[in-house]
Amino acid sequence: MKFKHLSHYVALFIILLAGFAGLILFSYDRNIQIAVSGALALSYISWGITHHYLHKDLHLETVLEYIVIALLGFVIIFSIIIRA
Amino acid sequence: MEFLRLLRHLFIPHESNNQKAKILHSSSLVLIAVGLIAFQIILGFTHETFPQVLGYAANISPSEVVRLTNVQRQSNGLTALTEDPTLDAAALAKGNDMLAKGYWAHFAPDGTSPWSFFLKFGYEYKYAGENLARDFPDAASAVTAWMNSPSHRENILNPNYQDIGIGVVEGNLAGVDTTIIVQFFGTPLSGSLSVPVAKAKEIAATSVQPTPAPVIVATPIPTQSYVSPFVSTKNISLLVTGILILVLSIDLIVVRRKRIVRIGGRTLAHLAFFGMILAVILILKAGQII
Repeated sequence: MKFKHLSHYVALFIILLAGFAGLILFSYDRNIQIAVSGALALSYISWGITHHYLHKDLHLETVLEYIVIALLGFVIIFSIIIRA
Repeated sequence: MEFLRLLRHLFIPHESNNQKAKILHSSSLVLIAVGLIAFQIILGFTHETFPQVLGYAANISPSEVVRLTNVQRQSNGLTALTEDPTLDAAALAKGNDMLAKGYWAHFAPDGTSPWSFFLKFGYEYKYAGENLARDFPDAASAVTAWMNSPSHRENILNPNYQDIGIGVVEGNLAGVDTTIIVQFFGTPLSGSLSVPVAKAKEIAATSVQPTPAPVIVATPIPTQSYVSPFVSTKNISLLVTGILILVLSIDLIVVRRKRIVRIGGRTLAHLAFFGMILAVILILKAGQII
């Protein structure tokens, strides 16, 4: 089976890995962790929009879906950070 | 049957949910996010209104910190430290000073050193050391964190120390409800001619902003277990993320098998995103040490 848009998924993997590393490396500073979480959420939305634009199937509904998923992810990480 | 239909509607792509599990619809995800925010608001409100229900210091007793510290020393072939009431009082004063001045550091913003608390309480030292911890749910987690840090481990396993003093304070530090553990080590001068040498890590004050009116609880040593806000948040987050990963996995399989074509985001990308979040939830731990 041919894996479509491998380069897109490699980019996504790098974004997620960078976010994960940032959250661990800056575990001593909550403000930086929150900034990393926000950047991660925005990067995920950007990745989604770019990916679907290049795939020529970008719709408003799709953009909303990425925004909501990113928002939910941010809320989960933010909650953990402020309680840690 | 009705219940099974509901489950299918919520978790499996089907005609009833437009070939996408209802829980993955944007409206449902917004509801989940709002629910999580509401949970955090209720958690904060409960702590303010019913502090006896939600606590930030679960079972941190100074004597337990002393006991666990001595277990570590003895298992490394060192003598146990003696709990010194003077050092206990000095450590408690240091903890209260951090809350009052709103700093999280060995040295206060005004330059007050940890050693000044030793001397203020009449403990003339030959050697002195300090370890700090905050936001740990129990004494064992704090001691384990110290032992995992080379510089703090060095303090705990320093053969030059004879005495130990522990102060546990709870309050609001720079807007965050916090439990601080201050661990003082010392060896009295006892007429020795040696020049006093401070053996602790001398770390400059970090950038915690002072709080105008900190809430200070003088001797907040809890005698019972509380519901930890961190553990509650972690469990809820694990539950939500776990369910989403499960439903996304089912979605990936069903859509591929049935060759369903639909407008929307990439399930594989969402899976990777929530997989990363799951890893973060599992790895992030409560507590900081300096």
